[in-house]
Amino acid sequence: MNRNYKKIAALMLCSGLVLTACGGGNNAKESNSSNGGTNSTAKTTAAPADVLDAKAKISWLNILQTSTTPTGPILEKIEELTNTEIEFSWIPDPSKEERINTSLASNSLADIVTLTILDNSSVRNALKAGMFWEVSPYLDEFPNLAKISQDTRTSASIAGKLYGVPFQKSLARNGVVIRKDWLDKLGLQVPKTTDELMEVAKAFTEKDPDGNGKKDTTGFMDRSDLVYGAFKTLGSYFGTPNYWSVDDAGKMTPEFDTEAYVKTMDYMKTLYDGGYINQDFAVTAKTDQQQNFAQGKAGIYVGALFDSKNLLNLSKGIQDGMDLVMVNDITSTGNEADRAIWAGNNGIGGLLSFPKSEVKDENELRRILKFVNDLMNEDVYGLMTYGIKDVHYTIDGEQAVTIKDTDLWKQEVQPFSASRPLENGFIIHDADPLKVEADKLIVENAKYAVLNPAYSLESETYSTQGSELQKIMTDATYKYILGKIDLNGFKAEVEKWKKSGGSKIITEYEAAYKAVNP
Amino acid sequence: MILPGFLYFVIFKYLPMGGLIIAFQDYQPFLGIADSPWVGFKHFVRLFTEPTFFMLLSNTLILFALNIVIFFPLPIIVALMLNEVQHKLFKSTIQTIIYIPHFMSWVIIVSISYVFMNVDGGVLNEMLAAFGMQKISFLTSPEWLRTVYIGQIIWKEIGWSTIIYLAAITVVDTQLYEAAEMDGAARLRKTWHITLPAIRPIIITLLILKIGHTLDLGFEHMYLLINSLNREVGEIFDTYIYTAGLKNGQLSFSTTVGLFKGVVGLILVMLSNKLAKKIGEDGVY
Repeated sequence: MNRNYKKIAALMLCSGLVLTACGGGNNAKESNSSNGGTNSTAKTTAAPADVLDAKAKISWLNILQTSTTPTGPILEKIEELTNTEIEFSWIPDPSKEERINTSLASNSLADIVTLTILDNSSVRNALKAGMFWEVSPYLDEFPNLAKISQDTRTSASIAGKLYGVPFQKSLARNGVVIRKDWLDKLGLQVPKTTDELMEVAKAFTEKDPDGNGKKDTTGFMDRSDLVYGAFKTLGSYFGTPNYWSVDDAGKMTPEFDTEAYVKTMDYMKTLYDGGYINQDFAVTAKTDQQQNFAQGKAGIYVGALFDSKNLLNLSKGIQDGMDLVMVNDITSTGNEADRAIWAGNNGIGGLLSFPKSEVKDENELRRILKFVNDLMNEDVYGLMTYGIKDVHYTIDGEQAVTIKDTDLWKQEVQPFSASRPLENGFIIHDADPLKVEADKLIVENAKYAVLNPAYSLESETYSTQGSELQKIMTDATYKYILGKIDLNGFKAEVEKWKKSGGSKIITEYEAAYKAVNP
Repeated sequence: MILPGFLYFVIFKYLPMGGLIIAFQDYQPFLGIADSPWVGFKHFVRLFTEPTFFMLLSNTLILFALNIVIFFPLPIIVALMLNEVQHKLFKSTIQTIIYIPHFMSWVIIVSISYVFMNVDGGVLNEMLAAFGMQKISFLTSPEWLRTVYIGQIIWKEIGWSTIIYLAAITVVDTQLYEAAEMDGAARLRKTWHITLPAIRPIIITLLILKIGHTLDLGFEHMYLLINSLNREVGEIFDTYIYTAGLKNGQLSFSTTVGLFKGVVGLILVMLSNKLAKKIGEDGVY
């Protein structure tokens, strides 16, 4: 008996090991049955007009970009204006991939699901498998949704089908933010070329721009992100394609297989070797990057142009003399004709999708689409962006908004701002000059935006192994910049990428491209 | 009396094992196990032919070996040393202090290390610089990852791991020591010939249990340490399962990796248990 018991105990121990690895997979069936009954009012067989006017109860699985969930009166106001009752489930942004994947796997969804990671394979599989409503036949029934351009609809589609209302973002919002006060102190001009930018970085590092007599500043302050950090934006200045380039014959080339990509790496390498960039940028988080910049440790920040406003706010009380200038017209050649800036996800911020398991019929779908349509009204946009008039902001005759209490705004309003399906084209605007300027430059950027031609194309290999393969190139890029491998070593990694499945991705994309562009 | 425990294991440990079946499917959550397509050994083939497989296996085994060779004996030595301390208060103070890190999460320990080891203003690097030495990028060099990893484990767990050994030592018959003293044995002799043999069964048992966790090196810890520059030595099965399965949503494939990991663990436990019996010990079963 005793012996047997020991045996069982040992078995348990071993099986525990195995199970920890696969716990998430098998509860889809059970949770299926418990769902469904959450939204009752919108469920009706009556004619659409009645349906649309009825008060709806809507649950929304949403991404939270801020650190706390919103409190205060905003939600109630939105419900009032859209004639709904909204129930949010918030997913913190840093864990969105895991959480969305587990929600999809366990079928624990809501009426509206915010999907911001469309290139994630399980999200793509779920969309392709028809887990969500295809919305294109319904969009034109609603005035705001009807305005979504064909380009946006195409970009946001998967295999030609649109599985949700796309978040319409600015096409290209990145640029360079520089300490103007430091430039002035050292008698430097605002850089127009990558060489001039390098000079500025060098001067910021070596010429003591903060005048404290210590060599404690660098040029760039970057973070461990080859996409939203400095790398991809600098890459645009050298003419690097946005992930993929395609020639007239339909031949596709990944960005890291181009000359321009290597030039960008060389540029970063010069920054690193000279100490013109924070030496630990490969392990620096975005919050640390912004904090360090605000503390006056560096003078060049590459990221979204509107970050300048946040940087300035962060610097208050630490670097009171901080003056920022935003630059969006840098090129490597100095020719206006070479201006380019990559377009993040081709201007698509993701999809608002409606799972068939929750949204049972067309009428229910129409009611929810009406709600999304209403979110794009100017009054709701104002609520979700600035808050309530005279509580969170004041407004002048020019429709320029000044936030009254930033802390209150951050707590009560900011969490909603990432959920706006449309961000541009409203009359009401921020009175902050940096924000106004940033918005202007971002609009200007659109003219020079470089799109990713593979964004809406299908590749089976990319869906299953894409992110694993991408790691090979991300790692190799860092190693090249930090001098751990040379150009031959990098080329070898490109070959490894091709051999491990990259070539297949190229072939599959080319086939998909030909199918769409015959 | 055994029924609640039995039910617990059946419901929470044995029934979920059925989920392993998805390792042989292209599992789609909304289709469920019943309707997902069967693909045979496709995922196993992919695992064994992927270029990362050898890297994962060797990283895992090397870190495991470090764990066994460097970390495993340390708590025994510390326990023996503590046992020699006569002053009661001093002894319990030391014990308490070395237990404390066990209660901190890996996130905190890795963050503390970051503060010490980063290049721009890290305490350790500033000290190196003050002595006129070259700064070391501990966090981004593959050469340093294993040292940092094992160092953090030692710091966090050494005190906690001594508990069982200390308990085992207290039950050693004091008459044996008195007899040895009569024969003129010094402290070191007594430790070597009485204390160590007395706790040998405990050591063997703990060693086998530890081996059972061969490929279980602590996901959280490693995940926090890996970045683009040290991945080649840091990526292990645990982190790979997480990124492939949860982040990329390849549930079937990551189940395959998990299954493989579990089977290797099982085999190693059985082998080491056999070995223990061969050399005349009890083993764990």
